[in-house]
Amino acid sequence: MKVSFEVNGEGHVLDVPPLRRLLDILREDLGLTGTKEGCGEGECGACAVLMDDALVDACLVPAVQLAGRRIVTIEGLGSRERPDPVQQAFLEEGAAQCGFCIPGMVMASRALLNRCPQPSREEIRTGLAGNLCRCTGYERIIRAVQRAASLPAESGQPASVETVPASRTVTASVDGIPAYAPDDLREALEILQTQGERITIIAGATDLLTDVKLGNRRPAAVMDITRLACLRGIALTEQGLEIGATTEFAQVARDARVRRHAPALADAAATVGAAAIQNRATLGGNLMTASPAADAPPVLMALGATVTLTSAKGTREVPVDSFFVGYRRCACRPEELLSRVSIPLPPAGDRQCFYKVGTRLAQSISKVCVACRAQVDAGGVLSGVRVAAGSVAPTPVALPEVARYLEGRRVQGSDAPEVMAAAGNIAAREIAPIDDVRSSAAYRSAVTRSLVVRFLQEIARS
Amino acid sequence: MNRAAGGLIGTSPVRLDGWEKISGEARYVDDLSIPGMWVGGTVRSPVASGKIVALRRDPSFDFSRVVVVTARELPGPNVVAMIREDHPVLAADRVRFVAEPIALVAAPDKPTLAAALTAIEVDIQPDEPVLTIEDALAGKGPVWGDDNILAEYGIASGDLEAGFAEADLIVEGTYRTGHQEHLYLETNGMIAVPRGDGGVEVIGSLQCPYYVLNALTRALSLPPEKVIVRQVATGGAFGGKEDFPSVLAAHAATLALRARHPVKIVYERTEDIRATTKRHPSRVSVRTGVKRDGTLVAADIDVVLDGGAYTTLSPVVLSRAILHAGGPYRIPNVAIRGRAVATHTAPNGAFRGFGAPQTLFAIERHMDRIASRVGVDPVTVRRRNLLTTGDQLPCGQILHEPVAAGLVLDRALALSDYKGKRGKRSPSANARTLSGIGLSVYYHGGGFTGGGEERIRGKASVRFSREGRIEILVSNVEMGQGATTVLCMIAAQALGLPLEMVTHPYPDTSQVPDTGPTVASRTTMIVGKIVVDACDALAAKLRAHLAREHGAEERAIRFADGSWWAADRQLGSFRECGLRYLDAAGPLVGDATYRHPEGLRWDEENFRGDAYKSYSWGADVVEVEVDRDTLEIRPLRATVVVEIGRAINPVLAVGQVEGGTLQALGWGYLEEIKMDAGRYLNDRVTTYIIPTTLDAPAMQVELAEFPYERGPFGAKGLGELPMDGGAPALAAAIEDATQIFAAGIPITPERLLRLRIEEGGS
Ligand SMILES: Cc1cc2nc3c(=O)[nH]c(=O)nc-3n(C[C@@H](O)[C@@H](O)[C@H](O)COP(=O)(O)OP(=O)(O)OC[C@H]3O[C@@H](n4cnc5c(N)ncnc54)[C@H](O)[C@@H]3O)c2cc1C
Ligand code: FES
Repeated sequence: MKVSFEVNGEGHVLDVPPLRRLLDILREDLGLTGTKEGCGEGECGACAVLMDDALVDACLVPAVQLAGRRIVTIEGLGSRERPDPVQQAFLEEGAAQCGFCIPGMVMASRALLNRCPQPSREEIRTGLAGNLCRCTGYERIIRAVQRAASLPAESGQPASVETVPASRTVTASVDGIPAYAPDDLREALEILQTQGERITIIAGATDLLTDVKLGNRRPAAVMDITRLACLRGIALTEQGLEIGATTEFAQVARDARVRRHAPALADAAATVGAAAIQNRATLGGNLMTASPAADAPPVLMALGATVTLTSAKGTREVPVDSFFVGYRRCACRPEELLSRVSIPLPPAGDRQCFYKVGTRLAQSISKVCVACRAQVDAGGVLSGVRVAAGSVAPTPVALPEVARYLEGRRVQGSDAPEVMAAAGNIAAREIAPIDDVRSSAAYRSAVTRSLVVRFLQEIARS
Repeated sequence: MNRAAGGLIGTSPVRLDGWEKISGEARYVDDLSIPGMWVGGTVRSPVASGKIVALRRDPSFDFSRVVVVTARELPGPNVVAMIREDHPVLAADRVRFVAEPIALVAAPDKPTLAAALTAIEVDIQPDEPVLTIEDALAGKGPVWGDDNILAEYGIASGDLEAGFAEADLIVEGTYRTGHQEHLYLETNGMIAVPRGDGGVEVIGSLQCPYYVLNALTRALSLPPEKVIVRQVATGGAFGGKEDFPSVLAAHAATLALRARHPVKIVYERTEDIRATTKRHPSRVSVRTGVKRDGTLVAADIDVVLDGGAYTTLSPVVLSRAILHAGGPYRIPNVAIRGRAVATHTAPNGAFRGFGAPQTLFAIERHMDRIASRVGVDPVTVRRRNLLTTGDQLPCGQILHEPVAAGLVLDRALALSDYKGKRGKRSPSANARTLSGIGLSVYYHGGGFTGGGEERIRGKASVRFSREGRIEILVSNVEMGQGATTVLCMIAAQALGLPLEMVTHPYPDTSQVPDTGPTVASRTTMIVGKIVVDACDALAAKLRAHLAREHGAEERAIRFADGSWWAADRQLGSFRECGLRYLDAAGPLVGDATYRHPEGLRWDEENFRGDAYKSYSWGADVVEVEVDRDTLEIRPLRATVVVEIGRAINPVLAVGQVEGGTLQALGWGYLEEIKMDAGRYLNDRVTTYIIPTTLDAPAMQVELAEFPYERGPFGAKGLGELPMDGGAPALAAAIEDATQIFAAGIPITPERLLRLRIEEGGS
């Protein structure tokens, strides 16, 4: 397919297969080898570039989504004569060793400083958490970013050329598969209605391209849904929060309305991968992959959310509790799109939590995650209890028995420890964890129990 | 020559390869493209052990479009020459580990290669693999030889029996460490280019150009003059590109000669993790006789390393492991036995520290165990036993050079406020986390073990070029550790020239002599010294020439303030005089060969004597937080004090310490390879977990310096040292926080939970 886009201020029109990765386009088609491949699955950040000013991993951006985009790579940042302040600071602090992670690291630092010109040490650590470095121990890199923040900001970035047309392509190239990138919902639904079975929908592509790389999926035709404006964005209505399916986690995490009414969801969103993943991964995609380890589903279950599934024939609403029907299987039919997630407004004084125990502190898949919510009255009596967990069964699971047990019980007073322990034990019985590459069944079960107790202790304490 | 002139040593100029790396201009192997270049791939074993029955080609694929090579079509002997000749280029009849190469394919492009690889099916009759140290020791299989023993060494001194008889109590423990993957950010990669004369040139990401050259001449049956090995920008190595590139180069070169095209092979991450070397897993059993106050009187130590399927470097890893097994302690009566055994896993090889981190982990944990058994604190038990200048090591070496063990310990304790923080597990009953602090003391021998340097006799040259620059011609590579900058600083200082005048080109075996491999923390200390000698030789030639030119006595010619002088007569700048030399006398090159320091002796037969030319010393204090409920571990702060003779470039030195420390911590609590029937389950970056910025502790590093006379400007080895102390200090900190003693790493939350349950806790 033909796509036109801009790289470092220069327009390009290329004829490439729709799933060709931006990384290969940069390195092989355009000869821009500064962007590196370290893993090919969005884990290491060596291929991080800016796309429309947002940090993304080029290994997870398919060509079909490039039309009209502005890409900035390390080559577009600064020159020896006029280095970007980030580059200058990396040089002066001795932040590079083998250098392989450095282009991505520099781009991540630039993205961070653009968003947050005077970051704290913690903000720097968070901003760079999706960029692995095996040489430096990060200390000098963090210092370099601190130094860059203190250097006079010189706009080393090329001025954008506003001429690249956003092309809507509905053609297949010779060696590619059919690709659609509709900007009209009706058109998208029509395509699904007629050939839903063979269409693979693409939102942030973070799961999809990983699956393709692993050989788990070979799409016959693809449809990019990120150009459907009506699927994106967050709204607060009288009923509650409405979050469009293609809203990225970065936006969910930062949104003030989400932070206020669904803080557990904002917390979960902020733990998904790291910056570059959060800029791409969508809430809808997280649900659709139906991975038992996904972080959003347990929170949405705890918050009593529903999803809206839309097809040319109409819409239907499904509670998230019953959305997952098996290992990596959900209730969405081939002719349907997941269009939005609705979260009812919580009552005043709602207490929510999202606890994630991952393989490490960022860029981390959950070994266990637990989401809870409840209201507590002045006497410490619980109501509206909901509990759900991830990575402890073949699908994300609601834990209705714990919730039922806790409803109406007191978490303060002398029998509170007993109540809490009982709740933990019920939770541990309700799940079906396994041993796998990331953790053990014994650990998952023990931690689920403790996290349920922790939630109760925390709400009891305040 | 005025050595003080430049005053460069101990300053931190910006690294010379800094800009090319920060701008993305540096070209790594996968960034290179050569006209007509094909891509290569590998058909691998799906099982850990078995007999190759057949290799089937799917007739629907047109194999005339590609080149396929099996063990039967190799151009030379089926051997990747390393220490032994047991490692085949391609498995012929049997496979001995998952992902062992069975056939090679080259194709004009990636899609064709992928299609060809899936069109080849291997039929293997699998048998029961041997996967544990215990099974290997029991002689199961056998995987290798008739007893699975790849190497066995022992050292002893004193009288063990008498020592134990003197002891008030016996403290025993067994310690285990797991595989560690290097996870250099750049995977292994190599390009081979066939030459008109039937020879081959390989270009790659590698540490040891001459290892690769030797392997190629053997595997391809080519004379050395028909093989060229060139290094290009290397995206991290840590030992992982010491032995393995010989295998990959043999593959790429075989394909290139067959296909008559340049062939590039760059591994995907998963292929790299499955097929390449790892740190040797270890089991170290320590039995010590101890006085009531914690003084060591005897130690009987048994070290077993899991070498994987072939020898690679296991014997040398083992020798370094046992030579460090006693830790930085005085043990009057000691016996250390080491064995490396074969299992059906990918051959394990070099990894920063080279066996020492494993045994130092064991002895440091054991010292903590002794401390709690005799009821003293970990600092006291160490102070009672720490080596001091003049003490003797188990191999009989007398430590004549200043021993900095006590100094680094004192500084690390003071900087970290260890005493103030130890044993303060919890700030409040409600706190979600427990905090802990732990320490370790360690040492690392610089340069090759025993007589290695004498055997290699590294040669270095420096050449004055037409462009007016000094080129350092050595086979040692820049791989991130800063070798280019440090060697150039050393040469600039030796010649009294500004740093800008010195370069260290990427080594190319047709241009550089064999200075030995880039390993064993030897590049600064050993190679740097040879470079100084080569600079002296070059200056002497120039001086002699100037004396002749000006009819002066050589003694009267001197270099000062950027100019050569004959008495008070200015003869010109270095550059001007050098160019005059080139015109009059031809190439201006200084050569030098390694000189054995006088008075050092090593008896290889009995493993006795001066095992290393010098030792560097370190102490770590690690502070952690452990979640009460989930047992998640978070290293908060690491204080590291190292004594390294002299830091040529302190910023680079500190960078090495910080990076090595984080690798050591990762090994201690995050990094794990789980196996299923010999297949590594953690074969992706999402499952092999290394620390991110959020996992990394804040680090405070202090460099202590006792200049080492025989090193260049006082420098000793540094590269591996920081890998030695992180894991045991972390384990001690976790113990301080949780009261759980972990004798094995990685200390994952899952392991902690298991230990807590075993100890009968809740
Ligand atoms: C490095 C890395 C780290 C990660 N860390 C985490 C983490 O910490 N926690 C976590 O939960 N997840 C994590 N993930 C997974 C997370 O990125 C995805 O689950 C993401 O949310 C999927 O959204 P997407 O837009 O990228 O989906 P895509 O990959 O575009 O699509 C995923 C699937 O959903 C389908 N699909 C997408 N949108 C719709 C729609 N609106 N209607 C119908 N079908 C649709 C697609 O066809 C596809 O099958 C990580 C992924 C990576 C690569
Ligand atoms: S500098 Fe080598 S990986 Fe970061």
